[in-house]
Amino acid sequence: MEATIEVTGLRKRFGPQQALDGLTFSVLPGQVTGFVGPNGAGKSTTMRVILGLDAADEGTALIGGRPYASLRAPLTHVGALLDAGALQPSRSARNHLLWLAHSQGLPAKRADEAIEQAGLDAVARRKAGGYSLGMRQRLGIAAALLGDPPILMMDEPFNGMDPEGIVWMRGFLRALAAQGRAVLVSSHLMSELEDTASHLVVIGRGRVVADASVAEMIARASGDRVQIRTAAAADAMTALANAGATVAATAPDQLTIQGLSTERAIAALNGSAVPFSEVSAHRASLEAAYMELTRDDVEFRAVTPS
Amino acid sequence: MTAIAPYRCAARRANDGFGRLLHAEWTKFRTVRGWVVAILLAPLLIVAVAFLQRSECGIGNPLPNGTTFNSACPASPIGPGGEAVTDSFYFAHQAVSGNGSITARITSLTGVYPAHGGHMAAAANPLAGYQPGVQPWAKAGIMISASTAQGSAYAAMLVTGTHGTRMQWDYTGDAAGRPGAASATAPRWLRITRSGDTVLGYDSPDGTHWTLVKTVSVPGLPATAQVGLFTTSPSYQVIKTSFGGSSGTGGQTLATGRFDNVRVAWAGAGTTWTGTSVGAQGTGPAGVRSGPPGPDPFKGKFTQAAGAYTVSGAGDIAPDVPEAADGNGMSAQNALIGTVVGLIAVIIVAALFMTAEYRRGLVRLTFAASPRRGRVLAAKAVVIGLVTFVAGLAGAVIALPLGIRQLRDGGNYVLPMSALTEARMLAGVAAVLAVAAVLALALGTLARRGVTAVTVVIVVIFLPFLLGTLQGLLPLGAQEWLLRLTPAAAFAVIQVVPAYHQVLAPYSAANGYFPLSWWAGFGVLCLWAAGALTAAAYLLRRRDV
Amino acid sequence: MSAVGGVTAPGAAAPGAAAPRLAALHAEWTKLRTLPGTFALLVAVAALTIAVSAATAAAYDCRAGAGCLAAATGADPAKISLTGLDVGQVLVAVLAVLAVGGEYGTGMIRVTFTAMPRRLFVLTSKAAVVTGLTLASSLVAVLGSVLAGRLLLPARGLSAANGYTLLSLADGADLRATLGSVLYLTLIALLALGVTAAVRDSGVAIGIVLGLLFLFPILAAFVPGRTLARHLEQASPLIAGQYIEATTGLRSLPLTPWQGLGVLALWAAGALLIGGLVLRLRDA
Repeated sequence: MEATIEVTGLRKRFGPQQALDGLTFSVLPGQVTGFVGPNGAGKSTTMRVILGLDAADEGTALIGGRPYASLRAPLTHVGALLDAGALQPSRSARNHLLWLAHSQGLPAKRADEAIEQAGLDAVARRKAGGYSLGMRQRLGIAAALLGDPPILMMDEPFNGMDPEGIVWMRGFLRALAAQGRAVLVSSHLMSELEDTASHLVVIGRGRVVADASVAEMIARASGDRVQIRTAAAADAMTALANAGATVAATAPDQLTIQGLSTERAIAALNGSAVPFSEVSAHRASLEAAYMELTRDDVEFRAVTPS
Repeated sequence: MTAIAPYRCAARRANDGFGRLLHAEWTKFRTVRGWVVAILLAPLLIVAVAFLQRSECGIGNPLPNGTTFNSACPASPIGPGGEAVTDSFYFAHQAVSGNGSITARITSLTGVYPAHGGHMAAAANPLAGYQPGVQPWAKAGIMISASTAQGSAYAAMLVTGTHGTRMQWDYTGDAAGRPGAASATAPRWLRITRSGDTVLGYDSPDGTHWTLVKTVSVPGLPATAQVGLFTTSPSYQVIKTSFGGSSGTGGQTLATGRFDNVRVAWAGAGTTWTGTSVGAQGTGPAGVRSGPPGPDPFKGKFTQAAGAYTVSGAGDIAPDVPEAADGNGMSAQNALIGTVVGLIAVIIVAALFMTAEYRRGLVRLTFAASPRRGRVLAAKAVVIGLVTFVAGLAGAVIALPLGIRQLRDGGNYVLPMSALTEARMLAGVAAVLAVAAVLALALGTLARRGVTAVTVVIVVIFLPFLLGTLQGLLPLGAQEWLLRLTPAAAFAVIQVVPAYHQVLAPYSAANGYFPLSWWAGFGVLCLWAAGALTAAAYLLRRRDV
Repeated sequence: MSAVGGVTAPGAAAPGAAAPRLAALHAEWTKLRTLPGTFALLVAVAALTIAVSAATAAAYDCRAGAGCLAAATGADPAKISLTGLDVGQVLVAVLAVLAVGGEYGTGMIRVTFTAMPRRLFVLTSKAAVVTGLTLASSLVAVLGSVLAGRLLLPARGLSAANGYTLLSLADGADLRATLGSVLYLTLIALLALGVTAAVRDSGVAIGIVLGLLFLFPILAAFVPGRTLARHLEQASPLIAGQYIEATTGLRSLPLTPWQGLGVLALWAAGALLIGGLVLRLRDA
């Protein structure tokens, strides 16, 4: 079975609110796909539909070409972390994983392996009700890894993690993808995914706003601009324009050019013997790109105190 | 895209089927300590209530001589079917061998009963204070009996006070013949014919046109049996039940039957009749539980003059029915009444077994792991049902003998039960608990909230049981309907003695008689559970979680 | 609900300026008021109680003639008219359980205790609000039931001609039965509140409360020993508590009506005490 998630034309309405509005995207193996969008954009609903928990009004969500409900041991196909708090507080982590393993026909030793993988050994026999949010998050990850699935789906896995945990989680997700698994990670904070995801699906108000690799997104947002600091602004403008760049003066001693790479800009300036103090590629942050994309799709906006 | 080989799942999987769902749900159940404790509480509660089944029998009843009657309650005779019976009557009989028949004509059946109920008048005139009136089930007729010992196998054709002619045999058998009372103008002719173990009963209005009432098998009859004329009259009891309680009056009664045209067509038949007061004094008829043995008239008597016979007697020939006026023993069924108490614990656990999933969203993980939701529900039902069955059975197996011992220690006579009845009671208690647990689970699925589910289950099981069994809370008819329609009907599984129409008794749930038989009552509960489970499965599939 | 509105009028607990006691009351009032189902339950308490009482009165049948004489039936018109309490108390208990248990189910209890760290104060405020609402609702339920009994029972044979006294609030015993029944329902609510605070789970709490109410009568009826049965009746919150409804045959009761209600009050107090202790001593 292909380790892919294919979502096609999903629509779902909750009363007057159109939660999903023709959502289409796919998640491919070998990479971490970031699933981003503001709160209320439909990320969790999409994941629930993929897992067969919610029924879509229209459209399909397929796991390796099959609907989730037709999978006989689904956790060996897809591991999911939806809500870390979704457990019985009086049950220990090990017992929680144990019933889950039994439900998939997996041997009990898988529970122990997953505990080890998620780094929960120390607390595995304590009641889950007493866990910190970060520990519950790890338990949720252990549950997702239980079936050693080729597809992983995590809803806001960084929630409640301390900085050390976040670093661990990033490395962990990348390692899972490097093993050839398809990993879909949702977040409402682009910065969390900055060094983790290689592909992004951005949604807003139930629609896909962007579906591209991280490099493409950054390139699109930064638009290949290069900044040049120079005392001889006028000479530099001429030299760069001649080399084929669009030039704009952004400050008395600063130019921003487009259409020329950093190396070629330096060559052009050197060729015309124009002195310059700094040439730097302008690189938009992923965060900025994301803000730009979802500006119109934010469901809940806080009033900034003045 | 770099070429990365898609990941292949390395985890080994065992069987693929319902078994692993059961395993998962069982693991879920056993790993929540509160649930395990609560389910173990159920048998403990059942046993604890059995321990409360203690009452002193026959202590402190006043005797006419001013002392009190302090002795254990006597045992009832045992009929050929193994059940306890009441067997007191006056019998004018002779021994006959082999096959043959006896015929007699009855010209009247009359009787007296206490005018104001209760106690006997002065010894000088024992029947002072009695007034004429025949009891509905007073009996006079002809009988073939194995012996004059109580509990003997028999078959009889008889006339009753108000229930017409009947054929009765071996205490529990009863078949209706010609309706109407016997009188001088409308006498009744009766005949019984023996052919080996088979006895045929006939009645006739004129002695020439005979109607077969019933052919019965009485395997307990020896080659030489006693045949003759008998009369008996059950004690009388009036219980008034109203809102807020009941009160009763009653006492012994006496009936007199007049016979003529008596013909015994049997090898070795003679004309000499022996009169025996079967079961009189001490071991027998009514009044023993509530007081000392009755005065002389109630022993009955027999006179014979010019082909006419007068037989008078008191008592009954019938199964021993608890709460009937002539009833003697106590049924063991209340030893298992703790089922109702244990059920509370079971209901809470079973409802929470489902609603706890909804409380924190665990249900999403459950259904992500097992997308076929109907099967998850089925697995939960099997697990909670089996766990409850085992717990309930353990409780019942200890509670029944313990309750019986408690009753016996108090001097009570506990009615014997067949092994089959006992097994049905024990398995019944366990099954009622199990199916009620499934009902609670299904309602938990429908309601998704513990408080709603628990309330609804308690309201559909306990409230009807309470309103249906407590004397005087509701009119009797309404009580019976409650115990027919609601799951509370299932408590009929603990009923030991069925209601016999030929014995008058206050057959109400308050006295342990349920309006439905055990299997029908259990069926009602099963229907409720099946309905709720179906609705739950349907909703589970349709709902987003 | 005017009586309750008077106690916790929004103006009396203006934000910021209110005394803490009123603020806590106001908070609990707002919480309960905004809990979905509260008002439906309150209306249901009254409606169902009156309906069941009226149906029972209408179904009463003492067989005409001499059988209907007061001396013959021993029937108690007040008790018959208040039969609906058996059902109404279930809803009252549910209401009280939800008032506390709902917060444990969602973890909101931590928010509550953060906002109002004096936990016993919170419990007292909850009790006060639940008491107020239950009082109002049960007053309607009980008065409606008594009125239904007064209107229906004479036609069913319990008439003055047969030697019964018509239900009347001017009659001392009837008034005691009426007001006592209102208190009965209120005490049931407090019992449920205390149990819920103690076990901290709505489902378990309602099971225990209804078990406490219904099991004693069943046990008392099916235990063969009269002495033990009598003790069970005296200890039963339901049976002893409902002695307050009795207006005839008081001599045959094992306790006086007020003693009986006192038994229920003791149960409620005990439950509240344990609930308060658990609230104080355990982590939220």
